[in-house]
Amino acid sequence: MFSEQATPTAQGLLAPPSAEASTFTRVPVLAYADCSQPFRLGERSFSRQYAHIYAARLIEMRPILEERARQKWGNGVALRKLCELRAGEKCCVVGTLFKAMQLQPSILQEISEEHNLVPQPPLPKYIHPSDELILEDELQRIKLEGAVEVQRLVTGTIFAVYGSEQDDGKFLVEDHCFADLPRPLPWNGPSSDRFVLLVSGLGLGSGSGDSLLSTQLLVDVVTGQLGAEGEQSCAAQISRVILAGNLLSQNTQSRDTINKAKYLTKKTQAASVEAVKMLDEILLQLCTSVPVDVMPGEFDPTNYTLPQQPLHHCMLPLASAYSTLQLVTNPYQADVDGIRFLGTSGQNVSDIFKYSSMDDYLEILEWTLLAGHISPTAPDTLGCYPFYKSDPFILTDCPHVYFCGNAPRFQSKLLKGEHGQQVLLVTVPTFSTTQTACLVNLRNLSCQPISFSGFGTEDDD
Amino acid sequence: MEDELYLENIDEFVTDQNRIVTYKWLSYTLGVHVNQAKQMLYDYVERKRKENSGAQLHVTYLVAGNLIQNGHICHKVAVVREDKLEAMKSKLATIASVHVYSIQKALLKDSGPLYNTDYDIVKTNLHNCSKFSAIHCAAAVPRTSAEVPQVQTSVQAGSQTPSDTNAVSVPVVNGHGPSTAKQTAQQPKGIMGMFAAKAASKPQDTNKETKAEAKEAPGVSAVSSKPPAKGNIMNNFFGKAAMNKLKVNSVPEQPKEEKEVVKPSVPVAEPESSPSPVVEKPGKKTESARIQQKDKKSKMKRMDKSDNEEERVPENLKKKRKRIKQLQSDSSDEEDVPPSPMPEEEKAPSPPPVPALKTELEPASTEVSAGGKKRKRKRVLKSKMFIDEEEGCMVTEKVYESESCTDSEDDFAKSKPPAAQKQPVLPMRKEPKEERKNLKKGAATANRANKQVSIMGFFQKK
Repeated sequence: MFSEQATPTAQGLLAPPSAEASTFTRVPVLAYADCSQPFRLGERSFSRQYAHIYAARLIEMRPILEERARQKWGNGVALRKLCELRAGEKCCVVGTLFKAMQLQPSILQEISEEHNLVPQPPLPKYIHPSDELILEDELQRIKLEGAVEVQRLVTGTIFAVYGSEQDDGKFLVEDHCFADLPRPLPWNGPSSDRFVLLVSGLGLGSGSGDSLLSTQLLVDVVTGQLGAEGEQSCAAQISRVILAGNLLSQNTQSRDTINKAKYLTKKTQAASVEAVKMLDEILLQLCTSVPVDVMPGEFDPTNYTLPQQPLHHCMLPLASAYSTLQLVTNPYQADVDGIRFLGTSGQNVSDIFKYSSMDDYLEILEWTLLAGHISPTAPDTLGCYPFYKSDPFILTDCPHVYFCGNAPRFQSKLLKGEHGQQVLLVTVPTFSTTQTACLVNLRNLSCQPISFSGFGTEDDD
Repeated sequence: MEDELYLENIDEFVTDQNRIVTYKWLSYTLGVHVNQAKQMLYDYVERKRKENSGAQLHVTYLVAGNLIQNGHICHKVAVVREDKLEAMKSKLATIASVHVYSIQKALLKDSGPLYNTDYDIVKTNLHNCSKFSAIHCAAAVPRTSAEVPQVQTSVQAGSQTPSDTNAVSVPVVNGHGPSTAKQTAQQPKGIMGMFAAKAASKPQDTNKETKAEAKEAPGVSAVSSKPPAKGNIMNNFFGKAAMNKLKVNSVPEQPKEEKEVVKPSVPVAEPESSPSPVVEKPGKKTESARIQQKDKKSKMKRMDKSDNEEERVPENLKKKRKRIKQLQSDSSDEEDVPPSPMPEEEKAPSPPPVPALKTELEPASTEVSAGGKKRKRKRVLKSKMFIDEEEGCMVTEKVYESESCTDSEDDFAKSKPPAAQKQPVLPMRKEPKEERKNLKKGAATANRANKQVSIMGFFQKK
């Protein structure tokens, strides 16, 4: 555990000044490789239909699912396409799931004049008992019923169903399976304790100073200013800091310039300008001491659609001067000291949360891993770039650490797969509300939350 | 001794200056390692309390350790007041570190001031924020200057090109932030330069009543040093001939005057060449129409622009214009003398293209005058004398004739070419003009009301 060895010298600094103050060297970066090339977009063209991404997804995942189907239901199982279905024949079909949801916000309904509808207010969950599942493949679609949990599944998932077509044209499902964990990666982890700090949801620019001291304490612990000598030496073992999105608060998103009259907003600065300056200063303090990877999030000044591109370095002039600052995409994949990290800033998980009955972020995270796709709901309900050649969100290798940012609370779980895969699932909580970050120990894939607090007038414990 | 020195310092900070002395603040102020700063604070507290048990000292501590929470071990780092220190320590399963966080005279209600103190001191020491830290990172070296520009070249390349057009486009675009330099063609550059000069001089000279002499051609050419001589030539006849043609109803003349005052010196600096004015003319025509539109907008929104400091033209241009202006506006006498040789110079190369341009611009000007700017087409009451063929007598009539002038100064310089052109136009226009006298009267008086009286009124065209 972090700073366990610090205990003996905990009170060491409650003493007169010593002649020499010890300085610790930050553990050097053993190996780092940025593997998020598939998420970087070069020339972008939005003149394509989104159907291509579904086609690419299906083509890529079909072999994996057929393999799984054979493993599960025997080698002799009949793999049929929807157009080859015969009534009553038990077979397995691989296709894309579509969930017809009554409450799903539809732009066509909103602008339709005949309905005269007021736009639907945002709901926490859009599920409804009358939702239906439909399986689509390249040519046809068919309604599903039977042993499928309608509420749990979301649109865009590729999966295989085993059952038979009924006379009424619906497919009666007896069993289904997902792509399951992808193939494992070799383990090259460090032999001594090394930590990676995962933080998300710093929420700068929110106008409330509640978490500012906690943010400063976090920076101080990581840079080795805070704590007794033992703790500082442990902090020197933090080899990397990953900021997983939402560096800016939602409050910086106000679009006054659109709503208000021009004479009112003429000289007002966008709220994000001050917040980015604050972020730059914080990043500078971190970068002078530890390598930092900055992922953009939902409220950060970058593009909206997934994959979000890195923040532009011109916004962070002070911090970009240091080579320890890495501005990376969301989702982000990298090999840190031999351990494969894969994670997002949480948009994929929160979108699945909205459109399925799953409530636990960790459960959803695990589910996406088992479904073999980082964000199946893109592009249906989550903005996505219209890929056409391949879908970069498909999981091809099993990461060692799989995280999502901006979760309501900290959770972690070590998932073990059939083929020796070991995945540490981490939901990184929003720092601005929980003042908690995560420390991942690379040696044994364990995770520990680290929380910060100041004191206030109402403090009574 | 050294020991005593820091104690005295801390004493001074806490009691005399009534500061909140955090370990970080002390570390930066005294230039010591953070751990030493923490120890110094502790030492100070101990000694002070030993000497004087009633000492008015409040201390906050930092406690860090492991806490069992929700089934997993959470590492907690907390800043606590002294009275809560033991309670926090007892809550933690294992204690990783305890040290003094800050000392202050007053009791703190919450940790906000601690954050502010730290924030301030870090802000002033951003360039070496890890100097006194206990962890040193070898990888954290600033990028070499060679690497940095590689990233930035593409960004700058776009923005560096015509910075003069930048200046131009800024006032032209209506009330918005400085738009990116759009015009890269040389032709528009020259035209835009003309507008830049005008717009820039506008805020400066709104108070000034000085009237420029007739400097239509040189006046119009771009003040900014960049526009090439080519653009200058265009501006020359653009100003002269086009301004005759293109009239604006509501545009005040003052900016034009100022611009013209400013302009004269520039043509002197730039050598004149006459590449191919004819080729440039058609380009200019469309440009002029467009520019006039923009110019009108820019004039209308002059109030806007004066608000927006960011949209000011670059300093150098401004200064340049100021300098030029002062040369001109020293005395009214000088105004006449230097500019007058100028127009004659300009006119020499330009008269040949001028008539041609005029005829071309005339149809264009009629379209533009709807939204036109600097060049006004006014109806001016004039008395015309001619010999009536039928009756064989001399007739003097007061007629309204349409003439284009930017202001009274223009009339002066343009007297020659416009006069020559107007003669053929007159007979055709007379009848309709007389019919429309009433309408024109209103327009003319309105124009006259807008127009400011200037010294050049003496040199009005007859």
